[in-house]
Amino acid sequence: MNAPIDSATHEHASEDRRPLPGAVTFGHAVAVQAWASAMLVGVNILIWLFSGAGDFWPIWIFLPLAFALAVHAWVALLRRRPEIWRRPHLNFALALECGVWVALMLFNIGIWAAGGAGSFWPVWPALVLGSAVAVHASIVSFRSPSHQELSERIDVLTSTRAGAVDAQEEKLRRIERDLHDGAQARLVALGMSLGMAEQKFDAAEPGEARELLAEARVGAEQALRELRDLARGIHPPVLADRGLEAAVRSLADLSPMQVNVSVDLAERPTAAVESTAYFVSAEGLANAAKHAAAESVQIRIARRGSVLRMDIIDDGVGGADPDGGGLRGLRGRVEALDGTLRVVSPRGGPTILIAELPCA
Amino acid sequence: MRVVIAEDLALLRDGLVRLLRDNDFEVLAAVADGDALVKAVVEYEPDIAVVDIRLPPDFRDEGLRAALRARELVPGTAILIVSQYVEHAYAAELLADPGGGVGYLLKDRIMHVAEFVEAVRRVAGGGTALDPEVVGQLFSRRRKDGPLERLTPREREVLALMAEGRSNAGIAEVLVLTVGAVEKHVQSIMGKLDLLQSAGDHRRVLAVLAYLQQ
Repeated sequence: MNAPIDSATHEHASEDRRPLPGAVTFGHAVAVQAWASAMLVGVNILIWLFSGAGDFWPIWIFLPLAFALAVHAWVALLRRRPEIWRRPHLNFALALECGVWVALMLFNIGIWAAGGAGSFWPVWPALVLGSAVAVHASIVSFRSPSHQELSERIDVLTSTRAGAVDAQEEKLRRIERDLHDGAQARLVALGMSLGMAEQKFDAAEPGEARELLAEARVGAEQALRELRDLARGIHPPVLADRGLEAAVRSLADLSPMQVNVSVDLAERPTAAVESTAYFVSAEGLANAAKHAAAESVQIRIARRGSVLRMDIIDDGVGGADPDGGGLRGLRGRVEALDGTLRVVSPRGGPTILIAELPCA
Repeated sequence: MRVVIAEDLALLRDGLVRLLRDNDFEVLAAVADGDALVKAVVEYEPDIAVVDIRLPPDFRDEGLRAALRARELVPGTAILIVSQYVEHAYAAELLADPGGGVGYLLKDRIMHVAEFVEAVRRVAGGGTALDPEVVGQLFSRRRKDGPLERLTPREREVLALMAEGRSNAGIAEVLVLTVGAVEKHVQSIMGKLDLLQSAGDHRRVLAVLAYLQQ
């Protein structure tokens, strides 16, 4: 029950994260703090060196600074990468608490080591704080959602639903256009060829009539081919008939690249999850071929608990724009199912597309 | 030659009946769903069943499954599956059925009447007819440095036609070559790909497809 609520807070966090023009972002703040701390420690080490380098007292300045920096960096990381905590039985507060607990433990161990490494006392605060984290975790697991969380959840659903409807609308428009400019136009031309062939028969010119008939047949073949491609783009028949693995392998077969497919699913997911996973694969392969100039691609699809996880990894040049048209549309599709889509694509490659789709 | 047809769309069913009758086939029955196909095959024991892959009630691959069921009951019945789209997964399932006499073609091919009729005859006679698009799918996943690259463009053309199930004489006709020239190409291809020459055309298709599917 908690996963959707977490995603609600995440959505809002991601909206709030957009920095105002000229404002200092959280990441900058961490960098500034790290730099200032390093300077302070450096100056103290210099003082220690010049004052005879006796007992290494700067450690007592270093440890608290490192502790503060670790907490700050963890908070910044959680806000920047919500997928770390956006999962079942975890939320922002609990993830924060776990991180602080780890930082505090390291801090205590540091003090213990610097203080001569006697009896290992850091175990006691670790146990006390650890049980506090455990209590928090069980509360997160078992409590029911608050009013505010529910209303945030409704906001998210409203916006992802609107996105899904928009995407659907856009797709229908494109199909209409393709039909109009493609198959329909071809059928008109085909009818014209047939009409002219009739005339030629009446005029007793069988040679030309024959030519027109052949033309009409070519037109019919082209119309069929276009309709077939269109149908495949709406819902590939093999997906319904044979499931995700066969459909993705069929995509791989049509690809000019070397594509490795591994699918590990004990049972078939719902039709919505299957078709979304299929279109993530299709888009991933198309991008790898078109933009990344990749030669080989790996597609891995597996069930992990209640989540279908897919990784698409290519060996191309990277630098994909996560907010580019295709990927944005895909994200809308994935989020409509409460899933997440991540794109890691440094310049120089590789590009990794990771989608997680809940399928309870 | 005796035929049973299964196609749920009346327009296409009537068209197929007319086309095959015009070309001297004896159409014993034309049915609209999988169960009726099985019944008709058991009743008439035709040489070949021409079947639309997508039939009621579930409009998926009922046609393919019904045809294979019918063939279990009446061994030796040839099957020609026609479809609006091709997927090599289905072709693999058809070809895995022992006994030969299978075909899998796009409905588009019916428009080339003479070739389509030839394919029906070939399959009814125990041969194979695989749509060029399926063969194309298999060719497209060849590796850049694979042995297929050692073939000349002409040899690749010949290999594709072999994979479609055509005989040497058929290949010669399509490429406007002599049968002798085709035989030479075939020998050279089999040598380059390390395939054994086998007697029957169907076994040859299986060898070539097994190779392409590696």
